[in-house]
Amino acid sequence: MENFEKDMAEVLEVDTVELDDELSGFDCWDSLTILSIIALADENYSVTLSAAEINDAKTIGNLKKLIISKK
Amino acid sequence: MEDERDSYLLLTGASSGIGKVMASILSKEYNIILNGRNEERLESTEKMCGKERKILIWTFDLNNINDIASTLSEFIEKNQIRISHFVHCAGYMKMLPLKMVTIDNISNTLNTNFISAVIIIKTLMQRKINNLAMKNIVFISSNISNMGAKALSVYGASKGALDSLMRCLAVELAPHVRVNSVLPGGVKTEMTESIYENEEVLKRMEATYPLGLGFPEDIAEAVVFLLSEKSRWITGQQITVDGGRTINVTA
Repeated sequence: MENFEKDMAEVLEVDTVELDDELSGFDCWDSLTILSIIALADENYSVTLSAAEINDAKTIGNLKKLIISKK
Repeated sequence: MEDERDSYLLLTGASSGIGKVMASILSKEYNIILNGRNEERLESTEKMCGKERKILIWTFDLNNINDIASTLSEFIEKNQIRISHFVHCAGYMKMLPLKMVTIDNISNTLNTNFISAVIIIKTLMQRKINNLAMKNIVFISSNISNMGAKALSVYGASKGALDSLMRCLAVELAPHVRVNSVLPGGVKTEMTESIYENEEVLKRMEATYPLGLGFPEDIAEAVVFLLSEKSRWITGQQITVDGGRTINVTA
């Protein structure tokens, strides 16, 4: 998970992200970004996420915890 | 000289999803070669197949496009067979928004969905390898081939390429070989399972399919028709089998 923050910054089209950043606060937050996170979790961590789980996570930190819990 | 070898139908993507069901239906009528990446899964497909006809297993990953021609011709020679029918059901799909698309994803998708089909047909059309045995080709395309959808740009392009190939070869290989495509809509298989797990998506999909969601058998029956003599005057066509999804313009 060492590159998680870097990968998320790329998906969210910003330079850096913090663990307490709210997902819905990013300018590019939309259904395609959620699909991108689903693809990222599958590709990099072999974890299957649903759109609802990602929305429920609310922050970058919770999303990271969710992926770790499913690994 | 008369060719005494047995004729077979080659089915790619036979280890799962639509291909697995297709194998069980087609094996009642044709000697069949089951192709897929995983031998164990192909053996499980074999158990579902009819026992009246012969069954061969060709374990090979179609992503290895450079080895298809040599491996397939060796397979034909080793088993002393001919291939008269080809159904290309192998498919690789990853839903990726444009910003997540990579060269690897493009290559894997095009290799499995499109390039492998070209190379297989080229190999099967060679007189020295298959002695003009080819009669009929059916591609499993997708209803996205003529449409658009988010996060399916590369997959959609691969199916569009496959259907262009189908039309051109239908002309080039006539009158000896007919070539057609079946364009399925949403069918529940292992490949699409993650999409259908989402209840919200499932509800939305059910609402947009006038005839409801389909089953692999619905696709297989269209293929049976296109392979049969009942469709002897049909070539170069896309047959959409999607419960009316793509003709539905209800807002």
